[in-house]
Amino acid sequence: MLALSRRKGESLILDNNIEVTILEIRGEQVKIGINAPKDVMVYRKELYDQVGEANKAAIQSKGLKNKKMLNG
Amino acid sequence: MTIETSLFGTITIDKDKIINFQDGIIGFPELKRFTFMVDEDNSDSKKVFWLQSLDETDFAMPVVDPFAIFEEYNPVVEDEWFKSLGEHTEEDLLVFLTMVVPEDITKMTVNQKAPLIINTKTNQACQIIIEGEEYKIHCPVYDLLKSRNQKAGE
Repeated sequence: MLALSRRKGESLILDNNIEVTILEIRGEQVKIGINAPKDVMVYRKELYDQVGEANKAAIQSKGLKNKKMLNG
Repeated sequence: MTIETSLFGTITIDKDKIINFQDGIIGFPELKRFTFMVDEDNSDSKKVFWLQSLDETDFAMPVVDPFAIFEEYNPVVEDEWFKSLGEHTEEDLLVFLTMVVPEDITKMTVNQKAPLIINTKTNQACQIIIEGEEYKIHCPVYDLLKSRNQKAGE
């Protein structure tokens, strides 16, 4: 993981066309601004991980799979 | 191509039945090639399709057409999100929701928040996440499905 320090108002450029700016710092919370082309998806990681977990649960689907295995 | 699957045994599919998820499925970025299998054994689940990985024999997710369950499903999306799927008109895009069906099937849910979008013209696909509180990752659907089936029966 690349770790860089930024102050309020400073930015990073990713991939030549994505700008990440530190907008505000208030105690433990940082407000981050992202300027990117519309086809760049930006998600909060917790949400992303929840979807990953839901996908994992879908693969389990014992209610359907057990039936299927029994039917052979 | 012919592949082994845990759920469907050995299957043979044509190249044009291969769906390519360019960035994989969320949580499984390395799994990109999939195909759709129809659940024919169980007449209750005639509207359930399976997304079977062509690279991982155990990986099969039940997926469903949102309009088979909900009267309305209108998440706000940007056209640009689907640019990478190649040329298409709105009609070319198919939407599926993943389903979780636990042993107690009355607790079955669908993920309204992370639909799978497939461009039937190019067979390119992606999974996107919808922001906003309106749609849930675990939306219970057993009662909805039951009442829909009852209505259909009438």
